[in-house]
Amino acid sequence: MALKPSKMMYKRALGVLSVLIILGFGTGMVRLAKLQLVDGEMYRAKAESQQLGDSSIQALRGTIYDRNMRPLAQSATAWKVFIDPSNIKNEKISKLSGEEADAALQTRRELVADGLSKRLNVDKEEILKKAAKSESGYQKIKSEVTLEEKQQVSAFVAENKLYDCIGIEPDTKRYYPFKSLASTIIGFTGTDDAGVEGLEHEYDSDLMGIPGRVISAKNGAMGSMPIEYTASYEAKQGSSLVLTIDEAIQSMLERELSKVYTSSQAYAAYGLVMDVKTGAILAMSNQPDYDLNDPYTILDEDVLKKIDEITDPAEKNQAVSNARQAQWRNRTISDTYEPGSVFKVITLAAALEEGTVNEKTTYTCGGGIQVADNYIRCHNHRGHGTQTLQKGLMNSCNPFFITIGQRLGSEKFFRYFESFGFTEPTGIDLSGEAVPRAGATYHSRENLGISQLSSCSFGQTFQVSPIQMITAIAAIANGGKLMRPYVVAKKLDSEGNVIDETQPLVRRQVVSEKTARQVLDMMEAVVSDGTGRNANVAGYHVAGKTGTSQKIGAGNGKYIASFACVAPGDDPQIAILIAVDEPVGQINGGQLAAPVAAALVEGIMNYMSIEPEYSDKENKMVEVSTPSLISKTVSEAREAAKQKEFSVRVIGTGDRVVKQVPAYGQVMPSKGVIILYTDDRAEETVEVPDLTGMRLSVAQKTANSYGLNLKIAGNAFTGSDILSYNQDIAKESVVKYGTVITVSFKSFSGVSDSIYG
Amino acid sequence: MVKQFTPKRQPLQLFKWAKGNMDVTFLLIVLALLTVGLIMLFSAGYSYAYYKYHDSTHFIARQLLYAVLGVAAMLFISKIDFNCFRSWALLGFAGSLALLLLVLVLPEYKPGFKRWIDLGPITFQPSEIAKIGIVLFYAWACEKWHKRLKYDFKMQLGFVAIAGLFSLLVYAENHLSGAVLMALLSVIMLFIGGLNRGWFIVLGILAAAAIVLLWAKPDLLKSYMGERITAWLDKDYDPTGARWQTNQSLNAIGSGGLLGQGLGESKQKHMYVSEPQNDFIFAIVCEELGFVGASLILMLFALLVWRGFVIALKSRSRFGAAVAMGIAFQVGLQTVLNIFVVTDTMPNTGISLPFFSYGGTSLMMLLAEMGMVLSVSRHSDVAKK
Repeated sequence: MALKPSKMMYKRALGVLSVLIILGFGTGMVRLAKLQLVDGEMYRAKAESQQLGDSSIQALRGTIYDRNMRPLAQSATAWKVFIDPSNIKNEKISKLSGEEADAALQTRRELVADGLSKRLNVDKEEILKKAAKSESGYQKIKSEVTLEEKQQVSAFVAENKLYDCIGIEPDTKRYYPFKSLASTIIGFTGTDDAGVEGLEHEYDSDLMGIPGRVISAKNGAMGSMPIEYTASYEAKQGSSLVLTIDEAIQSMLERELSKVYTSSQAYAAYGLVMDVKTGAILAMSNQPDYDLNDPYTILDEDVLKKIDEITDPAEKNQAVSNARQAQWRNRTISDTYEPGSVFKVITLAAALEEGTVNEKTTYTCGGGIQVADNYIRCHNHRGHGTQTLQKGLMNSCNPFFITIGQRLGSEKFFRYFESFGFTEPTGIDLSGEAVPRAGATYHSRENLGISQLSSCSFGQTFQVSPIQMITAIAAIANGGKLMRPYVVAKKLDSEGNVIDETQPLVRRQVVSEKTARQVLDMMEAVVSDGTGRNANVAGYHVAGKTGTSQKIGAGNGKYIASFACVAPGDDPQIAILIAVDEPVGQINGGQLAAPVAAALVEGIMNYMSIEPEYSDKENKMVEVSTPSLISKTVSEAREAAKQKEFSVRVIGTGDRVVKQVPAYGQVMPSKGVIILYTDDRAEETVEVPDLTGMRLSVAQKTANSYGLNLKIAGNAFTGSDILSYNQDIAKESVVKYGTVITVSFKSFSGVSDSIYG
Repeated sequence: MVKQFTPKRQPLQLFKWAKGNMDVTFLLIVLALLTVGLIMLFSAGYSYAYYKYHDSTHFIARQLLYAVLGVAAMLFISKIDFNCFRSWALLGFAGSLALLLLVLVLPEYKPGFKRWIDLGPITFQPSEIAKIGIVLFYAWACEKWHKRLKYDFKMQLGFVAIAGLFSLLVYAENHLSGAVLMALLSVIMLFIGGLNRGWFIVLGILAAAAIVLLWAKPDLLKSYMGERITAWLDKDYDPTGARWQTNQSLNAIGSGGLLGQGLGESKQKHMYVSEPQNDFIFAIVCEELGFVGASLILMLFALLVWRGFVIALKSRSRFGAAVAMGIAFQVGLQTVLNIFVVTDTMPNTGISLPFFSYGGTSLMMLLAEMGMVLSVSRHSDVAKK
C-alpha cells in the first residue's frame, strides 16, 4: 500500500493553487482588462497608425496656356527612384559576420550605387552616402525620371534581384513645349515640383493642387497585407492659367529681338507688346533668355566665354550663379532705364493737356539752349530752325522740349509724371516689378529744379521700367486711359471651367481723349516722315517715337536705343516697346529699334487680320493676286499680265502656256514677274543674287532680271538714303524662277535723335 | 484513529499496465486547450510562415503532426501504472542533469543561446525534460524520505541545492525565465513535499533580495537578459529593438478590445509582433478573440490546474498526488508567466504558452505529462463510478 498524501500536503497544495489562481491568473485577467478594455482604444490607434500605410499621390500641376490655349507649361507623369538602405543587407550577408559581412554589404551598396548612377546620371558618391544610412527605409535618388530611365532601372533591378532595395514610384515632370518661349514670364519649377521663378512661383499655390492620398494596410515589413483595405482620396489637380501672351506674337517678338540683340552686340534687348485697350500683355521678352526645360544651363555664348576665362573656382561659381540669376531675370519689369526721347511724348501730352502749348506753337532751334549754368546742345548741332510742335517731335528736338517742359513748370510736370504712373509700380501680376524711388530712380517734386526739369523733359536723368513706359504709351493710344497691365487672363479648374477672370482695370484718365488723339497724330508723323520712319509699315499708320539715351552711372559710351509705337494709328490696337541695351556701333533708336518694331507691326497686324489702309504712294506697291494665264497663247498671256502690271518671262518652245509660276491666285507684289512655261519641262531654277545695300528700284530690277519677285518689308518709302539691309532667302541659294524674296529696307539718315550718334 | 501502517517498500518497476478509469474531465480540458491552441497557432502563424517559408502551413502542419503523436503518447502513458513513474523519476533526474550539462558544451543552435539540442530533424530543449524530471524526482524523493526530510538538515540542504543546481544550469543556457520557472517549480515541489517552513522563509527573503537587486542593477545579469529587464523598466527604451516585440504585443492586445477583431483578423501578426506563433501567440489570441475570448482561454487553463489538483486530492498515493500537482502547477505557472510577459507585467524573458506556442517536441512533452496526470487519475477516487 502506497503512502497516502498527508494533510499538510493538501493544505500546502491548496495554498499554492490559491496563489496561482488568484495572484497569477487573477493578475493576468486584470492586466488584460486594463489593456483591452481601458487602454484598448489607445493601443488600437497606435496599431492602426503603423498598419495603415499612407502614400500620397501627387497632384498634377496645372497647365499654363497662352491666350489661344496653346500649352506653354505642362506636367506629365514621370517616376521617382528611391532606395531602401535598410534592405541592402540580404539574407546571405546576415549569415556572415564581422569584416566579411561588412565587405559583402559594401559590395552590394557599390552595386546599387554604380547601377543607379549610370542609369540615372546621379553622382555615385551621393548614392553611396544615402545607401550607408542603414537605419533608413527610404532615400530618394532622383525624381522626374523619364520612362526610358525608369525602364532601364527596372531592368537593372530585375537583373540583380534588387527588388527589396530599389523602388520606383509615380512622380510628375514639368516640361515646356516651347522651350525658351516667354521664359522670363513663365519661370520654372524645382525638383519638388514647386515654382521657383516667374509665374510658376507667383501662382504656385494655384498651380500646385492638393496631393491625394492612398491609405492601405501594410505589414510590419512594409509589404502589403493579404487583407483588403484601401481608402483613397483623389488628388486635386492644380488650377491652370490662361495667359494674355500670344504664342505667335511672343515668337515673333523673340525672333526679332534676338536678331537685333546679336547684330548690335548689345548687353540685352527688351521688348513688350501690349493690347492698348485692356493692358493685356501679348508678348514680353528680354534677350538673352533661357530654356525653361534646362534653366540652369547658361545659353548666352558671350557670358559663357567670360565665365570660362575665370580660373578661381569660387569666383567661377559665383559668376555662374550670377549669370543664372541674370538670365532668369524679367528685365522688362525688374530693370529700369533712361527712356530718352521716347519720353517726349509724355511731356508733349502733358503740355497739350494743360494748354501750355498748342498745335500752332513754334520754336526756333539754334542747335542748343542755355539752362542755368549749362548749355545743352541739340543733337542737330546746326539747329533745326523754326519748327511746329509736330515737326519738333518729328525731329526729336531737345531745346524745343526743354522749353515745353519749362513752360509747363515743375508742379504740372510732376503731376503728369505721377499720373502716367512713373512713380509707382504698374501693378502687373508678376513678381519682381521694380519699385520707383524718389531721389533714386526719379527726382521728387521738391528736387525738380530747372536743370532737372529741363533734362527730364526729354527723358534724361531719371529711370523707368520698360513696363511703365509701354503702359504710359498705351494710355495715349487708349484715349488717355491708363490701364493696369496683366499677363494672367484666366484661372481654370482641372475641368477647364473658368474660376477667375482678370477684368481690365482702368487706373485713371491721364489726359483727355482729344489730347491723346493729337499726340498720336504727331507720333504718326514721326514714323511717316520723322526719326521713326524705319518703323513705317505700309497701310498701318504706325505712330511712334524714337529714343536714344545715355545710361546714368554706367560710364561713358553706354546707351539705350529704344522705340515705342502704336498701331494701327487710326484705331490703335497694340503698343510696342523695343529697347536695345548697350548696343555697339549704331546706337540710335530709330536705326536699331524702329525696324524691329516695324517687322513686329507687320507680322502682328497680319496675324491679327487687321486690314491695311494704303495711301496712294503705298498703293503702287500693294500686292495683287496673279491672273490665270494657263492655256492662253503667249501673246494673250502677256497682255493679261500687263493689265495687272505684271511682266512675264516665257520658257519653252510651245505656243500656249501650260504652267505658270507663281500659280493662279497667288498673292504677290505688283510689278512682279510671272514665269510662263509653254512645254512640259521641269521648272527651272536660278541662284539668288545679293539684294542688300540697294535702293528699292535697283533691288526690284535686279530681282526681276533674275526672274525673281521682290516683296518689300520695312520702310521703303519715307526719308532719304533708303537701302535694303536684309533678304529672307540668302544669296547664292538656288530657287525656282518666280520665287518671291522678301527684302527689308530702312532709312539710314534723318532718324537720329541724339547728340551721341 | 487508525494507526498508520509503515508502507511496504515499493519495488521499482519500469512498466506495468494501469487499472481503473481515467478522469475524462481532465482529458476533455486537455483536448479543448489543444484544439483551441492549434487553431490559434494556425491563425497567428500563417502570415509569418508565409513570409519566412513561403508556406502558410509551415507551422501548423508540423504542430499537427506532433499533436497527433503527442495525443497518442498521452493515451499510451495514461494506460501505464503511475507507480512505474518512480523508476522513471531516477532516470528522468539523471537524464535531465546529463542533458542540461550536455547542452552547455554543444555548439549553439541559435547564436547566443544554448537552449536547444539539435538532432537533425528535431530539436528539443533539455529544460523541457528537466521540468518533468524535477517534478518526478521531488515527488519520488519526498515520498521516499518523507520522515528524514523532517529532521535531516543535510538532506534538506541537499534537496534545496538540487533545485539551485537545476535552476543555475538552465540560467547558464541563457534562459532566464526557464530558470525562474525551474526554481519556482522546485520550490513548489519541496513545499508540497513537506520541507520545513523555515526554508521557504529563507528562500523567500533571498528571492526578494535578488529581485530588488536586479531591479536596481539589471547589468548584473548577462547582457541580453539585463537589457530585457531594462526594456521592461523603461517603457521608451529602444522601441525598434529590445521593446519592439513587447510594444507590438500591447498594440495587438489592446486592438482586441472586448470582443476582438475576429478569428483570423489580427493585423499585428503581419510582421509586427515578431514570431507571433511562438511566445507571443497570446497577444494575437487577445487581438482576435478579445477580452472575452482571452478570458475564456485563461479560465480553461485555470480549470486544467484545478482539475489536476482535484485528481491529486483524490489520489490515494502521496507520490501520485505530488506528480499530478507538480504537473498541474507547472502548466499553470508557465501559463501565468507567459501571460505576464505578453502583457508586459514582467520582463520579456522567453517563455512559451502551453498548448498554443509552436514547438513540436515541447508539445509532445506536455501531452506526455498530461498522460501522466491521467494515469494518476486512474488510481484516484476522482473517476470513481
